[in-house]
Amino acid sequence: MTQSLNLDYRAAEPLEGFAQVVALEGNKAWLVPEQTSSCGGCASSSVCGAKGMGTIASRLEARRFQIVNDFNLRPGERVVVGIRENALIKASITAYAIPLCTLLGAGALAQWWAGSDLITMASMFAGLAAGLWLARLVAARLLVRGELAPRFIRRAAPGESCSVE
Amino acid sequence: MKEYVLLMISAALVNNVILARFLGLCSFMGVTTRIDTAVGMGMATTFVITVSSMLDWGVEAFLLQPYSLGYLRTVTFILIIAAAVQFTELIVRKVSPPLFQMLGIYLPLITTNCAVLGVALLLVEGRMNFIGATLFAFASSIGYSLVMVMFAGLRERLALAEIPRMFAGPPIGFIVASLLALAFMGFSGMSAG
Repeated sequence: MTQSLNLDYRAAEPLEGFAQVVALEGNKAWLVPEQTSSCGGCASSSVCGAKGMGTIASRLEARRFQIVNDFNLRPGERVVVGIRENALIKASITAYAIPLCTLLGAGALAQWWAGSDLITMASMFAGLAAGLWLARLVAARLLVRGELAPRFIRRAAPGESCSVE
Repeated sequence: MKEYVLLMISAALVNNVILARFLGLCSFMGVTTRIDTAVGMGMATTFVITVSSMLDWGVEAFLLQPYSLGYLRTVTFILIIAAAVQFTELIVRKVSPPLFQMLGIYLPLITTNCAVLGVALLLVEGRMNFIGATLFAFASSIGYSLVMVMFAGLRERLALAEIPRMFAGPPIGFIVASLLALAFMGFSGMSAG
């Protein structure tokens, strides 16, 4: 099938999601993401075991976040928020790749040095702890640079929802 | 050293979790609409598979085998996987709340991902030592992430292509998945050779 358009696949598109304004605090607005299943929903959502786990109120409350209210948002309003392109990749590398690298590095060193399963196991858990500490430092740097903060994109239209393929 | 490298290549490419063992197909079709979500899911799964496999190996070696409790293996592993997911969620939330806001959505899906349990059960069959089991689990999950990202890249392009109406959506997705699986079958020649 021929491509009729000149498409730039590297175009920066933010990841978008819906959120509801739940409280105002000075110039800041607190938002809670709307209920979605972990995989964004699909035709099998009614029978998917993951659905219920990603939708309980406590999980959504835990993911409550703050944005600067420059747009006169009011409690109860639905808005579309987005995160910068590559933010998810940077966050994933910080949270998971750094601890995994230190874990495997510590394990490889211990195996080479001691050759015992128990020592390797203990070293790996120590490496994991060190990696998590390192991840915390990197995450703090990303936060200071504002690379992890969601941004307001627009107010959601009444009845607007995520498009599911 | 050489045996570990071969073990990892075998786990990641020759016996790929998704395309050779057909595990984790739910997330393979569900979370691959964008490359960045596929990367997020792949990394979270890699972390959980590696950590839970380490715990599974310990429980198998020090509890299930010595006391002949093999019949409890599946239930025990499911419990360990659920605990590992909860642990990961807790740690990410404590380490960085903004990271949790961004990544927390993928973690519940991993609990019901059969690839995690499948890799843990394969470790038992393989009778590996601890470092071998951990590297096998890590390489299996890298293979899973690799296929997720490749498929997400293909689907991003498919979304913009002119596809006959009857093939649009999941049908073309399954066709592309089957072609990817055929391509990965080429790696089986490495083990034969």
